[in-house]
Amino acid sequence: MTTEFLWQLPTSGDGRYGNSRKERRAERASSAHPYSDGVTDPRGLSFNYFDYLHQVARAADLAGFDGIRIPEDINGDEPWIIAGYVARGSRHLKLVTEFDASRGSSVYAAKNTVSYQRFTDGRFAWQISAGGDDKHRRALGDFVADSEINPRIEEFVTVARGVLTQSPYSFKGKYFEVLNGGFQGALSNQKVPPIYLSGKSQEALALSAKVADFHIFDADTVESIQQQIQELRALAKPYGREPAFALRIDIVSRETEDEATFDARRYWQQSEQGNHQPVINGNLWAGLSTDTTAANATLVGSYEQVTEALVAYAAAGVSSFLLSSVPHFEEAYRLGEHVLPAVRAQIKHDQRRAA
Amino acid sequence: MTIDVFWRIPTHGEPSSHRNRTPHRGDWFPGDDTKAKPGSVGGTGQGYIDYVAEIARAAEISGFQGGLIPSFPMTDEPWVISSLLARETSTFRFMIPFQPGFLNPVVAARMTASLQRATGGRALYNIITGGGGPAQLWWGDSASHDDRYGRTTEFLDVLKGVWNGGPFSYHGKFYQVEDAGLAHPLSQEEYPEIYFSGSSDAALASASKHADYYLTWLEPFDQLREKFDRVKARTQILGRKIKCAIRVDIIARPTEEEAWAEIEKGFNSLSREALDKFQNPDASDSVGAARQRGNRPTTINSYKDLIIEPNVWSGFSLLRGGQTNGIVGSYEQVAERLDQLVALGADAFILASTPHLEEAYRVGEEVLPLLRGKTDTAILRAVG
Repeated sequence: MTTEFLWQLPTSGDGRYGNSRKERRAERASSAHPYSDGVTDPRGLSFNYFDYLHQVARAADLAGFDGIRIPEDINGDEPWIIAGYVARGSRHLKLVTEFDASRGSSVYAAKNTVSYQRFTDGRFAWQISAGGDDKHRRALGDFVADSEINPRIEEFVTVARGVLTQSPYSFKGKYFEVLNGGFQGALSNQKVPPIYLSGKSQEALALSAKVADFHIFDADTVESIQQQIQELRALAKPYGREPAFALRIDIVSRETEDEATFDARRYWQQSEQGNHQPVINGNLWAGLSTDTTAANATLVGSYEQVTEALVAYAAAGVSSFLLSSVPHFEEAYRLGEHVLPAVRAQIKHDQRRAA
Repeated sequence: MTIDVFWRIPTHGEPSSHRNRTPHRGDWFPGDDTKAKPGSVGGTGQGYIDYVAEIARAAEISGFQGGLIPSFPMTDEPWVISSLLARETSTFRFMIPFQPGFLNPVVAARMTASLQRATGGRALYNIITGGGGPAQLWWGDSASHDDRYGRTTEFLDVLKGVWNGGPFSYHGKFYQVEDAGLAHPLSQEEYPEIYFSGSSDAALASASKHADYYLTWLEPFDQLREKFDRVKARTQILGRKIKCAIRVDIIARPTEEEAWAEIEKGFNSLSREALDKFQNPDASDSVGAARQRGNRPTTINSYKDLIIEPNVWSGFSLLRGGQTNGIVGSYEQVAERLDQLVALGADAFILASTPHLEEAYRVGEEVLPLLRGKTDTAILRAVG
């Protein structure tokens, strides 16, 4: 089995501090003049945050990541537009685009996806999330009850896969309907986007068992991840399928453990996490993340320690790593240079030995 | 005040000439192996998007505002094309047609604001509500014809409401939001210009409330004047002003004879089946399509039977998909006819000619410089 490493695109802000949500590199339109009056600023309003996001995507491409995750954040830019914007500047990246099933017609999402696949040689992928809490969802014009979130995701996926793979395709469900749908000619037989789902609830796991290509677990100890993987495997077995397992985890990795620990503490002080102390378990700092990376826990350690930890997750069954670290541009290079090659080599070595 | 001229991006490939359908650029039709098909996928690492990018750049270099990027069941999609070409173009404005029923209005607002940020404010809409019946259910949309216009109005109410940050609440028949609004800095962008299509009464009612431009296909000139007057009157009642725009195919050549020769060659290459189908179109509830059909003769033996007034040929949909009426003539004649349309109320054009890449240069170099548009003399002439 191949292992993939996805970098996160910081869609709502990025900088070199723990509270990086407040920073939007290259964004000129809204911030005060950054230079003193005594210094010429040649940039004017030429750039904004999109130019930076494009750089991060290219950095991930060059540094050897297999893809990027483009998270949906109501405070940031819209993921589908970002995916298109970075598509032609990158050659290899899988573009895992997050949205929720209230975005509109599933057929329209599928049809747009056909063009993405045609124009990116099949690199487009979906992460469908549950959306935020009630208040958040109402602000997005979405009034369905919590209990309907997962059934609606299931219909969204069913209809999208239906029109992408069959013609004519008809379906009439509670949330979505299509009559004699499907795509012809050049638009037909385009790659069905791999579907990433997440969530800890029984309903979320049951849904992933049925329809997900990847299920994303929040960062946790290797033992806990292993247990959750076993649980999901058992749930998926009756359907004769097995989703791949993805792990979303933040990284603070430096040449030495001391440097990593020092920076991790500084991020914690800078971020807006109040008095909540991270719980440290070996190299895993539960509850530590920066405001934009926002995973459940962070791996803190030397390059070797982080490598070892990621390899342990791989041994537990994880085949997709969703990694993040501020600032995302520089850290993409750091991990691409110092960590990914060693992790890949070790995983390959272990798999060969197991075979 | 001046007029705006847009071009069109072919989103379903295109033939390399009006004269026949092959070779067809892009990967839509299996072709003739002896002819190259630029923009088809296959070993070259180049795809249709590379050809589309060429057209967009040709259009901006040649002096067009930007282009309409049509969306139909068999085409590629305008949101995708716009975001992919954001960095490869400088002034090209992306006119995105879409139907409100396909997207949650808050998501549409977020996408649009992000696209404005990605392009430096070069996104605009062509809001479409027409078409219907089983065709609408193909898209997964089950609303009825008149309901759809009500929904369009509500959709634009919500879009506008959240645009500058909110908090905005709305309780309509089709859409509800609570404390919604775009976040900073998305909330700082220009609201997109709206071109609105639709010929029915329900469409005009919705357009008069929200549209900046009322967009129509080319119809017989007198019929068009009457239509523009009606739209403007309706909008005035609401205390708003609306401009009018025309989407029209053209064939412009150094002489009129050369222009008609293109049509004649294209017409003579048609099959009997294509002509029969043209004379007996499928039933549809689009009023606009019926208005274009209304003035067509019942028997067609020559391309000349489809000339419905000077320099206007009513058979373009035979040579390529889309609308039937277009302007054919010398560079001077085409410019003159366009200026006549300005005099009867047009404020903007979306022009197109096949192949869009080469013709963008031709029309930009030979026709646009001849247009008088809305200079003072043009207005005086209209008044006099």
